[in-house]
Amino acid sequence: MAKQHSTRIRETHADRVFNVINLIFWLLILFIVLYPLWLIIIASVSDPDAVLAGRVLLWPVDFSLMGYQAVFQYSELWNSYMNSIFYTVGGSFLSVIITIAAAYALSRKFTGKTLVNLGITFTMFFSGGLIPIFLNVRDLGLYNTRTVMILINLVSVWNLMVARTYIQTTIPNELYEAAVMDGAGHFTYFFKCVLPLSGTIIAVLSVYYGVARWNDYFTGLVFIRDRVKLPLQTVLREILASLSSTGSSDTFFEAYADNLGGLQEALRKAEVAKYCCIVVSTVPAVILYIFMQKYFVKGVMIGSLKG
Amino acid sequence: MTSLSGRKMQHRGSLGQRIVRTLQRDWQLWVLLLPAIAFFIVFCYFPMYGVQIAFKDYKAAFGINGSKWVGLKHFEKFFSSYYCGRMFANTFLLNLYGLLFGFPIPIVLAILLNQLNGKRFKGFAQTAIYVPHFISTVVLAGMIYLFFSPTNGIINRLIAAFGGTPIYFVIEAGWFRPLFIGSDIWQNAGWNTILYIATLTGIDPQLYEAATIDGATRWDKIKHIDIPHLLPICVMMLILSCGSLLSSNTDKALLLQTSGNIKTSDIIGVYVYNTGLGKAQYSYTSAIGLCLNVINFAIIMLVNAFSRKVSEISLF
Repeated sequence: MAKQHSTRIRETHADRVFNVINLIFWLLILFIVLYPLWLIIIASVSDPDAVLAGRVLLWPVDFSLMGYQAVFQYSELWNSYMNSIFYTVGGSFLSVIITIAAAYALSRKFTGKTLVNLGITFTMFFSGGLIPIFLNVRDLGLYNTRTVMILINLVSVWNLMVARTYIQTTIPNELYEAAVMDGAGHFTYFFKCVLPLSGTIIAVLSVYYGVARWNDYFTGLVFIRDRVKLPLQTVLREILASLSSTGSSDTFFEAYADNLGGLQEALRKAEVAKYCCIVVSTVPAVILYIFMQKYFVKGVMIGSLKG
Repeated sequence: MTSLSGRKMQHRGSLGQRIVRTLQRDWQLWVLLLPAIAFFIVFCYFPMYGVQIAFKDYKAAFGINGSKWVGLKHFEKFFSSYYCGRMFANTFLLNLYGLLFGFPIPIVLAILLNQLNGKRFKGFAQTAIYVPHFISTVVLAGMIYLFFSPTNGIINRLIAAFGGTPIYFVIEAGWFRPLFIGSDIWQNAGWNTILYIATLTGIDPQLYEAATIDGATRWDKIKHIDIPHLLPICVMMLILSCGSLLSSNTDKALLLQTSGNIKTSDIIGVYVYNTGLGKAQYSYTSAIGLCLNVINFAIIMLVNAFSRKVSEISLF
């Protein structure tokens, strides 16, 4: 340390001032970013009366899990939770495979590539619009099916380009030439060489696709009619929608009033249950991000540099 | 070896021969591409074909092809409708203000993050500012309703504590745009730094060392090294953003729209959703959607062409 210090040019006064201001700036930013999230978490484990009185500011007040107890009773929420897991896992799995395969193909040279590229990129800037997309799904017989929740938004152009750039820049062409010398075709090369070397980008794509699907409520709103097939976010919207009204029309919670000991008590619990719903619905996405974080920053950086 | 000679030959021969040759040589590539191509054709190009109902009177019984052509009837109806001007203005202003405030912030954040001392704090800050991006729109809207509630919301408590009168943020038309854009910045500004941070980490460290030896302060380095390096990518992102100046944001606007703020929250996307799907006016709303898409497409092309001329930076 000391040795290093002697060779380093000492920071000027202006730099020291800059550093202090920058540090304060970042502490402020971190507060703005993290405090609302913290507030949700502590409110979810506090007593409803304390939350309503506004006494929950820094730490949980009168720690209680009654909000979570209430949330566990909302069978509709958990049904949609299972739906969302299915849509997210199944859909993202397909998305990642199809994207990686296409990205590999587009990273090679072949006749017709320009046309394919053009056709794919064009969809990024122009689309049929909501209504034609809706009619198309209906005409295909996919309206109100679980299939549409998987198939719609299957491939994102942006993700495809990120994956292609990643494959182009990290897997050396010499490897391909060597594989071809040994008699490998595109299939062999793709499955034996490209896939094993693409761990990082597969992790990144999984997070991108997984989070987008998990957080999407609009697809469920437009394409699903049966309540049993609704994804989590669409149901969550109804729960949280009662917040915009003054609280008297909490129809969602009234349905569970009997189980929770009367309407009054149900509404009291609902006050914290809203925070609990936010927590249980957000945790999977954030956990996925934190686990993948290591690959994430690296993969995104490489992929986005030329994307 | 065969692939090398094949590549040389592919430039000769007629189109038919070339297609046969590519299928012989690269059919495996096409198989790998097939699922993606099938998706784009079925879920992107089919609807583009279906957009012709904007010029027809769509009847489900006759289907897309069987319905009668009516020319520009639906476009005329939309442009002469009472709320057309207001909806265009609302959509445009929401996106314009969003761009004006939302665009520079990630760049500033990226530059300042890059200047942070201490590897661990820097890493923590970087991880933390990405987190809000992983929250869903529904939850974000829920948080807005909770925090900005006139009775229990923390913001209004703060206002009351300082002696002000509580504001009913979610039903006042004047607060729709600030809430919408502010929450968008909170959620995505951190995430949008990724591209800029990637660019900054790509800068040769020797440049900074040389600048330090020449007596440059951190501020000088930002001005003379960071900003010039970021400029091309900024311009590209700006062009891309211009392509969505009339885009809809339907999902979020739908959540934040209340009967009170309709004067500013009445944007085209929400109208298309309500009228198209709610009242089954498919042709009319397809026409509106088509209008928007064409205008968006035209803007991005124009801005791109302009940028290519002026700054020689362009998307394509």
